[in-house]
Formats: sequence, C-alpha cells, structure tokens
Amino acid sequence: MSDVLQSLFVLGSSHHQAPLEVRERFALTQNEANALQKQLHANGCIRECLIVNTCNRIEIYGLATTADIESDIRNELCAAHGMSRELFDAHSFWHTNLDVLQHALEVSTGLDSQMVGETDILGQMKGAYATARELGCTGTVLNRLFEKSFQAAKAARSQTAITRGQISIGNVAVDLASRIFGKLSSSRVLLLGSGDVAEKTAQALQSRGVADITVSSRTYENAHALASQLGGAAIDFSDYEQQLSRFDIIICSTSAPDTILNAQNLKPALKQQPERPCFLIDLAMPRDISSDVEKLDSVYLYNLDDLSAIANENLEQRRAEIENARSILKRHAWTLWLQLRRREMQPQKV
Amino acid sequence: MLQEIAMTDRTAFGIGAAIYLMAFILGGIMLLFKKRYPRAAMFALLTGGFLMQTLGLNLRGAEIKACPLGNGFEIAQFIAWSLVLLYFIVGPIFRLRLLGFFAAGLTTLLAGGTWLVPAWDKPYPPGIFGGNPWIELHAALAIFSYGVFAIVALVSTMFLIQQHGLKKKQFSGVYAYLPSVQQLDLMAKRLMITGGTVLTAALIFGAVFWINNPDLVPLFKLGVTCFIWGGYLTVVILRIQKKLVTRRHAIAAIVLFLLALASLWPVQSARHSELDTPPSVESLSK
Repeated sequence: MSDVLQSLFVLGSSHHQAPLEVRERFALTQNEANALQKQLHANGCIRECLIVNTCNRIEIYGLATTADIESDIRNELCAAHGMSRELFDAHSFWHTNLDVLQHALEVSTGLDSQMVGETDILGQMKGAYATARELGCTGTVLNRLFEKSFQAAKAARSQTAITRGQISIGNVAVDLASRIFGKLSSSRVLLLGSGDVAEKTAQALQSRGVADITVSSRTYENAHALASQLGGAAIDFSDYEQQLSRFDIIICSTSAPDTILNAQNLKPALKQQPERPCFLIDLAMPRDISSDVEKLDSVYLYNLDDLSAIANENLEQRRAEIENARSILKRHAWTLWLQLRRREMQPQKV
Repeated sequence: MLQEIAMTDRTAFGIGAAIYLMAFILGGIMLLFKKRYPRAAMFALLTGGFLMQTLGLNLRGAEIKACPLGNGFEIAQFIAWSLVLLYFIVGPIFRLRLLGFFAAGLTTLLAGGTWLVPAWDKPYPPGIFGGNPWIELHAALAIFSYGVFAIVALVSTMFLIQQHGLKKKQFSGVYAYLPSVQQLDLMAKRLMITGGTVLTAALIFGAVFWINNPDLVPLFKLGVTCFIWGGYLTVVILRIQKKLVTRRHAIAAIVLFLLALASLWPVQSARHSELDTPPSVESLSK
C-alpha cells in the first residue's frame, strides 16, 4: 500500500521558475482550471487531484496510481494551455513523496510566495481545496494533506515573526500611493476587474483615507456587488476608458487575454489633468497594462513583480525567522508523512 | 550695541556656515545609516546657523550703513539667509520632510563657499545705493526672490529624486523620507509664483529708479536681470496655463536658478567696473 503514497506528486510553475512574461502565458481562468482538474481526475491514472491556480502559480497536486505519470500530466496541462511542452518544461518543477508535503506546507505558510510571509495565499489554498472537494477530485490523502497544511501554516506564523512588516500587496500599494499623492483622502480609485487581491488593495487604500472608489468589471453584477461592499460606485466596463481622467489610482485585475490600458488610451486622460500623477497597479495575469505607459511623465506603473520586490526589501531582516518557520514545517511534514503512511498501510474498511 | 559684540561680521558668517555644514553632515549620516531622521536637531542647527548669519548681516549693515548687498559674498550670504528664513516658514507649515537637509546643503555651499574665497568680499565705498531707499528696497526684494527661487530649486531637486525613485522602483533610503511627488510639485508651483511676484515687484521699484537715473544702471546688468526675470515669468505663465508641469517644471526651476546664480558674478563685475570708473559729468549733475 505504501507504493501509492510514493506516487504523490506536485507539478507546477511559479515565480521561482518563470518570469512574468512566461507566467502570463501559463495563466488559467478559474473555469479552465476547474475543467482541467475534472479532466485529470477522470483520467484513470490519477486517484486524487487538486489545482492551485493563483496569479503567481499554477500547481497540480495529485496521487497517481502508476509511477510514470509525469510526462502524461505535463502533456495534458500543455494541451489545456495550448503551449509548447519545451517552454513549460523549462519553467516548471516536479516534486514527489515527502517533498510534496514540505512544498504544500511552505506554500500555505507563504514561505514560497513572491512576497515571503504574505497571508493571502492561505485563503487561495483554502479556496482551491474547497473547489476540488466540491468537484469530488480529492480523497483521503489530499484532504489530510491540505487540512494539515493549513494547521501547520497557522502554527509557523504564530511561532515565528515571518508575517512582520509590510508584506501584502495592499500595504505596499498604500505606501507607494502615499509617496505619490501624500494624503490619500482626495485620491480617486478605479478598480478594473473584481479580483480578490484588487479588492484587498482597495480596502487597504480605503483604510488610509481613500473615499472615492469606483468599480468596473465585464460582469456588471460583480462590479456592483463589490462597489456596494466598498461603499463606492459601479460603472459599465464599456465606459471606463472615457472616464479615466477622473481617477488618480487605477487597479487592474481583469482576466483579459491582452492589455486593456496603454500609452495611447491613457494620454487623453493625462492631458485633462496634467498636474495630477497617475498611479497604475497591475495585479492581472496576464498583464492588463502595457509597459509603454511607463514612458509617460506622471505615470507610475507597478505590477506584481515590482510590488513583491518592494515587499521583500526587508527580507534579510526576516531571514532567521524564515529558517525557523521552515524547520517547524519540516517537523509537521514528517509527522504528516508518517500519519499518511500509517493510514495507507491500514487495511481499508469494507 | 552691535559694536559691543566682540566678533567680526566674517567670523559670524563663518560660524553660521559651519553650523549649516554640521546640520548637513548630521542629516547625511542619519540617512546613510538608515537611522531616524533627526528633524528636531536639524531645525535647531539651522536656527543656530540662521542666528549667526543674521548677526553677521547686522554687523555688516551697521558698518556700511545700508543693506549689505554690495558684493558677491554679501549677496550669497543674503540669498542663503532668505532661503533658511523661507525654510522656517514653509517647512513646519507644509511638513516637507528632508527640506531642512537639502536647505542645509545649499546654504553650506552658498554661505560657506563664498566665505572661503575672501576675494569675493571685495570692499566697496559706503553708500553704494546712494541713500536711495527705493533702490535699496529693489535690491533687498530681488535678492529675497533669489532666496525663494533657491528653495524652489531645492524642492524641484527633491521632486526629481522622488520621481526617479518611483520610476525605478526604489523604495528604501532617501526615497522613503522624501515627501510625495504631488506635494513637492504643488509646493514648487506655489513658491515659483511667489518668487516671480517678488522679483517683479523688485524690478518695478528698480525701474522707477532707472527711469530717473538711466546712466547709473549698467546696461549689461539691466539686460541680464531682464533675461532672468523673463525666464521666470515665462515659467510662471506656462505653469499657470498647465503647459509646463511636474518634471519639466522642476528641470526649468533648477536651470533658471543656476543661471540666476551664474549671472550674479558678471553683474557684480559690471557694477564694480562701473564704480571704478569716474562718474560722467552728466550723471554728477543729476
């Protein structure tokens, strides 16, 4: 029975392996990720399967029934993306056995995140687990692995100081906005797309005095719901371009396949308010804002990589804490591995 | 009472410059070692330097019985003094972080640099302004406007540094302490308009004197002054029309201030050569 556990794997790609330009080619929509999850689970070679799909990573956790499954899964993932196998192989990783446990625990804790110690990833992991359970793709091994990884993440965070300092996109965005505008009470914010991270960033700005928030999304109902939650207004997605000049801070997180803002459509808005700077935050994957806007004088563009780099500036000070957290997780991973082995070796009840 | 102080005016200017230098070094060390910016200590040191400079200007004024603006050294001291005076007004009201540090740097350069070159403190005959209060007011206002333009140049430099940091995604060090780009840009705009107004007023008072005494104003000085004034006036108008904003406005402010400083030397030379030349019969008869 222990052979089954030997087939525990995780295949993925994240900011560690792939630069932003490559990551945006790997990005899946939630529907595409769910479809791929069901497709993999329907494959007879995989007993359990779970996909973690965030703006910075795509990871497939699974329990295979045969040992040589890696190539098949890589092929299925590349087929789902419509991308070359060579590109994915060059920017991806494959872990098996105990390494899968250690990896899952480090991801949940935020140690593997682009902003080391960030807490959003735990919510995203919980969301991915809930979806996989709902789709009936997980079983005893992945259920236990994920539930334990959430407990381990909490333990590592409470026993170390890895979350100390500004390590959320929202906090970094607020600090940058303060460096651009000073007081934020008169700043007007436009959210393009209604993603989780954008929502949290808007909340962080709101907590620092921003009162005027407008939301625009392809699905008007989503925009309206988020606008109500933030106490702002919603505008039709077809209108946002005409209204760009009204806003000082624009946060993009749409799932558009191409850029929706570039120097050409931003210039008329800047001409209308030449003295006001414009802060653009691109949280989308693939990116929503063309990098040519950076050439514009009063435009300050920050994407996920930029925000993460800023958040990690004080990483050196937290290096010891990260090592402490890693050792705590190693102990948890080993205990979990023994528990799973014991469970797999027990005779199944009929 | 001023004569009772056992200190020469140059000593007072020298001590003032040394205190400004101390403020600049202290601020620099704190920034370099990423320590908390010593706002109170900077303010105290700049106050000390300002008081010493005020004493120096008073001693010099009592000696020549006029506003001490007769040579390059005195003009530089007066500009530095005006700059620090404006810092005391602008700094606490608008809470522009690091303005004290940058002000200390420029005043050290102006006050200390000219103090180190005694040749620039060229003696001149008393009553250089001919006892005419209008021309004295003209000179004081013109040099005060240079102090305003000096602080505009400082604020513009701070704007360019902060903008560079934001564009290049630099977050720590000096960038973290500087005020926001919008705050700096707005401050540069307001001060530029203030400086332009003061300089225009100075030139109006000067024009009244020039119309009555055309031979006493060197043409070269008049030309250079009008050129600098024209430059600032153009920048002010373009700024109000929102045609010269943010980065380009900051660059224009710095370039114009450097030009204004550079123009002081030929203007002073022209005036001194004028003083060295015996006055014409016509001008004496007026």
